[in-house]
Amino acid sequence: MSDETGEERKEAGAGLMQYSPEGMMPFGPVHPSLKEPEYFKLILEGEKIVQVIPRIGYVHRGIERAAQERTWVKNIYLFERICGICSFAHSISYTQAVEAISPFEVPDRARYIRLVVAELERIHSHLLWLGLVGHWAGFDTLFMWVWKDREHVLDLEEEITGNRVHKSYSTFGGVRKDLPDNIGEKAKAELGYIEKRATYYKDLVQSEETLAVRTRGVGRITQETARKLSPVGPLLRCTGIGRDVRVEDPYAAYDEVRPEVQTSKDGDIASLLVLRLDEVLDSCRMVKEALEKIPAGPVKAAFPRTVHEGESSFHVEAPRGELFYFVKSAGGSVPERVKIRTPTMANLLTATEMLKGQTLADVPVVLTGMDPCFGCMDRVSVFDVAKSKGWSVSGEELREYGIEYYRRKRG
Amino acid sequence: MRQTSADLLSKLADKLGGTLRDGPKSTVITVTPDKAPEACIAVSSLSGLYHLSTITGIDLGDEIEILYHFWEGKRFVIVRTDVPKSVPRIRSVADAMPSATLYEAEVQDLLGVAFDGNPYTGRRLLLPDDYPAEAPPPLRKDADPEKIRKMMKLE
Repeated sequence: MSDETGEERKEAGAGLMQYSPEGMMPFGPVHPSLKEPEYFKLILEGEKIVQVIPRIGYVHRGIERAAQERTWVKNIYLFERICGICSFAHSISYTQAVEAISPFEVPDRARYIRLVVAELERIHSHLLWLGLVGHWAGFDTLFMWVWKDREHVLDLEEEITGNRVHKSYSTFGGVRKDLPDNIGEKAKAELGYIEKRATYYKDLVQSEETLAVRTRGVGRITQETARKLSPVGPLLRCTGIGRDVRVEDPYAAYDEVRPEVQTSKDGDIASLLVLRLDEVLDSCRMVKEALEKIPAGPVKAAFPRTVHEGESSFHVEAPRGELFYFVKSAGGSVPERVKIRTPTMANLLTATEMLKGQTLADVPVVLTGMDPCFGCMDRVSVFDVAKSKGWSVSGEELREYGIEYYRRKRG
Repeated sequence: MRQTSADLLSKLADKLGGTLRDGPKSTVITVTPDKAPEACIAVSSLSGLYHLSTITGIDLGDEIEILYHFWEGKRFVIVRTDVPKSVPRIRSVADAMPSATLYEAEVQDLLGVAFDGNPYTGRRLLLPDDYPAEAPPPLRKDADPEKIRKMMKLE
């Protein structure tokens, strides 16, 4: 990336403006805010970012191609490994897309269980994110508190599915096994704790000075930008547009246990903090409601080994927004084509807009604020890449820089 | 709303000389490649339509099938077109719909369909910069991972 010639440097990046080589700052592929590689060309005027050109693909492993050579069932476990945070969103999206080709009715109890695990995953994903924002804003206490609390949700997920991360739980025709006995009691206790903590954090993120300085008015998205670039999930909802797949196009049991769509108006990172905590509280309510309402019966129906000829487009609301699957079957034992569009791919252009006008010191917080999952976007599992020596800025240095910048600014 | 948009879509298909297929979860409009951008822009301005979810490319053998998935309430409106492999070109819709920029660039990289007017034309989005120009794009049916690895001197 760094060996561009002068000619190449002058060309318009994402086609939006020309820039001179002096003001160009290569950023990545060692990503500043998560341990995932991604590359951003930042065009600066002094401290101010005027243009951002993303270049993705550093962890692209060709999972869509690999899927064409694996059987339908094996693919469930392949797709689950696309993301280490929202693995269940991938597996329910794929299994429901395949079930929709037939079409196949899943037992009611299985629909409820899918909802329960999907909402637990939303809680742990949002908490993970909140901790990271704390870390990158220089508020490490928050990071440690939140990640400790997140363990309670992971324990609950392990109790239900047998695993904390790659749950391998959803399958064609339902879920692999029934809920454990007395899960209702345990969930009520754990979620009661999470609710208490989330309420406290909601108060904290609105009153704590460190976070307010770093997030208020930072990384602002307007409704106009949102309509133009169509981000998904919290990034869209923080501009006041209340769109959510769970409500607009219900899947699993979302037509019976209805979410309340959370929105906020400011469109900055501070409003994302409150918005995501509101979603955590709503998810806690939904899990408890679902476990009370859940009907008795089988959790899995026999699903044919081969899938009819046909195709289906399916989407679910993953923690980061709309996760889209297109599955085409030619009637064989392997899929003809599976296309995946993850939320981060849809949010990437919006993230570049969020960065514009910010200072270099804001980059870690803004990029974390969009809740990126580059591994998802490149369709692989997450792994570390050794630091490249060619670049002057590493994530850690930039974090220090951001904290120092605000310390000096605030005196 | 569903009714009116169905009427509008069938009118649109007639106007562009395409065909319309209505399913329970999706409505598919099939048009020729030169009409596809026009169809996409017309579909995207329908009231009640949310956004372009993504663009899918599929290798059908002699053609590359391109699907534009638009999300509308409880279903998808899909604009479908077949681009011949001999001339894999189509006009970009990124000017009118900036959200299509990266989706087009992805199809361009992985299936080798050029989207005229896309800002990523001539540059890579997903593939490595040293991906050999003579190697087939990786999602084409004739792409052999072993051969590509040899071409890239990875073994």
